[in-house]
Amino acid sequence: MTQELHSVGKSKIKRDSAPKLTGKALFTADMKMPDMLEGRIFRSTEAHANIVKIDTSKAKALPGVMAVVTHDDVPKRPFTRSTMAEGLPSFAYEEEVLDQYILSEKSRYVGDWIAAVAAVDVYTAEKALDLITVEYEKLTAVYDPFEASKPKGPIIHESAKDNIASAMEHPFNCGEVEKGLEEADVVVELTGKNSRQKHCHLEPDSALASWGTDGRLTMISPSQGAHMAKKHFAKIFDLPEKNIRWISPDIGGGFGARLALGVEPVAAFLARVTAKPVRVTTTREEDFAGWGGRTEQHQTMKLGAKKDGSLTALDLKIVSDSGAYFSHSGTTSAVNMQHTLGLFRCPNVHGELKVVYTNTPIASGFRGYGNVEGAFVLQQGMDMLAEKANMDPIDFRMKNIKEVGEPSFFIPVPLDHCALKECIARGAEKIGWQEKWKGWNIKKEGRYRTGIGMSVMNHASGAGGFLLEHSSAIIKLNEDGSAVLTVSPCEMGQGILCALSQIAADTIGIDFEDVQVVTGDTDVTLFDIGSHASRSTLVIGNAVVDAGNKIKAILLESAAEKLQKKGVEELDVSDGKVFVKASPESFVEVKEIAFEAIYNYTDSGAHISATGSYLSTSHNPSFQAGFAEVEVDTETGQVNILRIVLAHDIGKAINPLQVEGQLEGGAAQAIGLALYEDFVVDTQNGHTLSDSFSTYKIPSTLDMPPIDIILVEDPAPAGPFGAKGVGEPGMVNITPSIANAIYDAVGVRIETMPLSPEKILAALKAKN
Amino acid sequence: MHRVLLPFEFFEPTTVNEVLELLDGEKTKVLAGGLDLVLDSRLRKIGLNKVISLQKIPDLDYVKYDPENGLSFGAMATMRQIEQFPAVKKKWQSLYEGIHTIVSVQTKIMGTAVGNICVGTPVSDIAPPLFTLGAKVKIIGKNGEKTVPIESFFVDLGKTILEPHEIVTEISVPEQATGTGSAFMKLGKTAEDIAKINVAVTVNLKDGICQKAKIALGAVAATPIRATEAEEAVKGLELDDRCIEKAAEAAAERVKPITDVRSTAQYRKEMVKVLVRDSFKLAIARASE
Amino acid sequence: MGKEIADFIINGTKYEEIIEPHMLLVDVIRDKIGLTGTKIACWAGDCGACTVLIDGLPILSCLTLAVTAKGKNITTVEGLADGHELHPIQKAYEEKGGVQCGYCSPGMLMSTKYLLDENPNPTREEIGEALAGNLCRCTGYVKIVDSVEYAAEIMEKGGTKQ
Repeated sequence: MTQELHSVGKSKIKRDSAPKLTGKALFTADMKMPDMLEGRIFRSTEAHANIVKIDTSKAKALPGVMAVVTHDDVPKRPFTRSTMAEGLPSFAYEEEVLDQYILSEKSRYVGDWIAAVAAVDVYTAEKALDLITVEYEKLTAVYDPFEASKPKGPIIHESAKDNIASAMEHPFNCGEVEKGLEEADVVVELTGKNSRQKHCHLEPDSALASWGTDGRLTMISPSQGAHMAKKHFAKIFDLPEKNIRWISPDIGGGFGARLALGVEPVAAFLARVTAKPVRVTTTREEDFAGWGGRTEQHQTMKLGAKKDGSLTALDLKIVSDSGAYFSHSGTTSAVNMQHTLGLFRCPNVHGELKVVYTNTPIASGFRGYGNVEGAFVLQQGMDMLAEKANMDPIDFRMKNIKEVGEPSFFIPVPLDHCALKECIARGAEKIGWQEKWKGWNIKKEGRYRTGIGMSVMNHASGAGGFLLEHSSAIIKLNEDGSAVLTVSPCEMGQGILCALSQIAADTIGIDFEDVQVVTGDTDVTLFDIGSHASRSTLVIGNAVVDAGNKIKAILLESAAEKLQKKGVEELDVSDGKVFVKASPESFVEVKEIAFEAIYNYTDSGAHISATGSYLSTSHNPSFQAGFAEVEVDTETGQVNILRIVLAHDIGKAINPLQVEGQLEGGAAQAIGLALYEDFVVDTQNGHTLSDSFSTYKIPSTLDMPPIDIILVEDPAPAGPFGAKGVGEPGMVNITPSIANAIYDAVGVRIETMPLSPEKILAALKAKN
Repeated sequence: MHRVLLPFEFFEPTTVNEVLELLDGEKTKVLAGGLDLVLDSRLRKIGLNKVISLQKIPDLDYVKYDPENGLSFGAMATMRQIEQFPAVKKKWQSLYEGIHTIVSVQTKIMGTAVGNICVGTPVSDIAPPLFTLGAKVKIIGKNGEKTVPIESFFVDLGKTILEPHEIVTEISVPEQATGTGSAFMKLGKTAEDIAKINVAVTVNLKDGICQKAKIALGAVAATPIRATEAEEAVKGLELDDRCIEKAAEAAAERVKPITDVRSTAQYRKEMVKVLVRDSFKLAIARASE
Repeated sequence: MGKEIADFIINGTKYEEIIEPHMLLVDVIRDKIGLTGTKIACWAGDCGACTVLIDGLPILSCLTLAVTAKGKNITTVEGLADGHELHPIQKAYEEKGGVQCGYCSPGMLMSTKYLLDENPNPTREEIGEALAGNLCRCTGYVKIVDSVEYAAEIMEKGGTKQ
């Protein structure tokens, strides 16, 4: 039975657009509270040093300064920056890495937070920062994970021997990789490393904290998972969870950065010390030299295949750079293994990872979360195997793509949906693969050489079966037949609230315009791990469907009685009417039922409402084929992207405009990652050299190539109206397809991102 | 790291003489567009005791041209004004291109060309064009007025010949002789970027023979520089591909660029050759029009 | 040092504030006057989020000393809509998906307004050039250019379009 869809599938206008376009939307730093103080953090200037003495006396004496705090003042409960830790099952790690305090006792990177000030205004607060003096005892610093993990070197955290923060084997190793490599007809080995891409969310980090007279903390911040952040906080401040209320304002971009705590602990601590609301703000330079960025993963991969193209072995070793503290570097490395080693069918698979501390800014998780990092290596490795087997890269991949029924990646439940082959076919046609890919090692002439490359991927629609993938939704029907939907994703502009409203509207049978959303307050919303892992549409969407179905059931029952129908199967709801399917002119309006439910002087009167839930037990991967056509200038090494095609297995585009927006936005970030986003630390002194939009370049309007988005809509059984996730996938195929296209154009591969002109030119010269 | 500035005294004189009277020492700076002044002050790269605004002085924002005196623009002329001045795109193509590669409209509307030069940075996108177009800088100080060739205006990284009591009031560019063509090229990571290297070439041809060539390179030394050896190498010659190639090689030979967050020394050196050659070809084509 | 009472004319309304010369225009607009629509993302003039129109020209308010903007006609994002009625540019961005997180939007809208005031019928290339000083991390710009193209269309037809 195909339901007529009035909202789902339409590019409805999301409601947060108008407030943002009129300047009425309030982001954290737009908010004020009465008697609010301004907080600023004092950052260290040493990459690795003991703090011998901090003199805050002059700062404290400055009129208008209400508090100056250091490590001595903060709770001595160490924590991990990552709030995702709250959603992990206990088997994921031997123990949680609790390695930092609100303010550090030692400086472990240039920019480490070692003091904080609260004052009546930001001018006074910054004057106070300038009055703080620190005596450091310099220690030897280490800047790369290989150096840092050498025995007998400088120790960054006492708890981590040889600075190894975490190590693990891929939980789904299988077969025997050495045997698989021996059995192979073609074998390749390659290394690859992503750069420490900075999120560059335009809204700098900030937080506004205040403690009520009842001892409850209210935190306003751009966290991507407020319920988890709240749990996390409870531990840091030794508070019962009931004493924390987390409010989510409008958020200026997340991309995974806000899955780690930012300045919230400092704001909360200053607010407690001063007994006044405190708003802590940060600058762009502080963000660059701070607590987030794509974890740099040094990967070595071995791949083996038979000459017919079928894979026999995949071996992946990862050494990741955590930076000075542990945040998401372990989980992104683990997720790399999950996606990379689980995408294709392969009988012998092995992965292992090691995460190492260095005296550099903290690495965390960035959209794509390990899959982007791994695809860069895997998809080039697949091309290298295809070359050795003399097969078309598409044909080679087709040999290894899993079919429905085979174990899905990571959590090995049977894959119940995969439209990758259609994605490949449609994408290849769009870019003109047949005409443009001419074979391996075709000699090209001229200064400017074109090339074409492709890549395929899968990505979780929520980490079901692994993370606490449980979401709930509440729907109530007002007396006028309108609905209020209470959910707890993280709306960062991706349009999730709009999509969930569309799902609610079509599940119940009312208009999109009649659905209001309540979100962003942990006192009101039900527990949810927030928006990440591209989970919100599928997992929260299914919770909304569950709630909506319950509402619909109530409506059908009421209407059946009114319309004197024996069975509810004879009825349906659409356009705000409950009607008889066989004779639609016979109906009762939803609003009539809703009104009468409330205005009911009998004992059965009640506001119609329902709570729905969904537990996801599978990653329900979406799939995608990506294509890139490039032109390489062999004299400057510059790469001009001529065209990108992304064909995405979306299942069902709840809101096509927003889905495209996610793919285009992800593609733009990945283009930056592929070609010019490079995070550079001065290894003489640990200073961040990539500290502004001038020294760290992200794409502007003039840097975007033509991008074709193909939405392959083959409904997925597990998804709400068949929908799967799309938040991250736009990023994954871009870098490898560009890398493969560069190889097709000029015959060189670059091991480390970004694939800069300097590296390409050097590789071309070395080749000749 | 700061997000607010430290206090300073602020003056808004209405004549250049008043400005000169107020200028006194290292921590007194002049405000034109403010792009660099405000940023450097926030980053605490400079200390400011006194800021003297030029914004209220009338008749400093002119861009004018006449065939006898050529092009001139005042201290408050914005890059946008110069970019949009019709004669600039026609006659001083490299200057137009230099400004045009600054793709941020806001930056061009706020930023003055004179201010850009006074920062004394080797990565200026208008310095190489001005170096090769014979630009002169008019300086006024307590001791009077002087005009210097723009090449001598730049002294070192972030340092110009301006004394603390002096300001620049005008930059002028002479009329271009017939048979002149110029071109500017730049390499950056993205379209909106500070140059990894930039290059400007002006060439004057008569009957296909090079009368004079000027080549300026940016971001490869502490200041923008002229590639004088390369310029000498092509004088009086017919500029065929081989000749241009040799000039480009000579220009690249002499430079000792650095490796920094934007690019490597090796790459910069190699790209001098490519950009000089390509700019030369474009300038020649324009000279022949 | 140097405190003065200054007039700021923003969106046609005069505001009187006590300022000092070292205060940034963006901070005066946001913190003193309380118009928080204008955003700050970089404090360095690199991203355009703080763009306001001063006498019709797009200016980076994070690099502008407030004292230099006294008495000038300043337009911020709050000045675009006519009461509750969205400006065609805002409608276009809404409809074409030109706004995701919204943090770049106020600055982007100001640059868009300047473009369409100067050039009511821009090509996609001209739109890209006009917005090159406004960074967006969410959209990849595709739908921003779509929005501006559509805004030009609506405005040419004279206002609202169904």
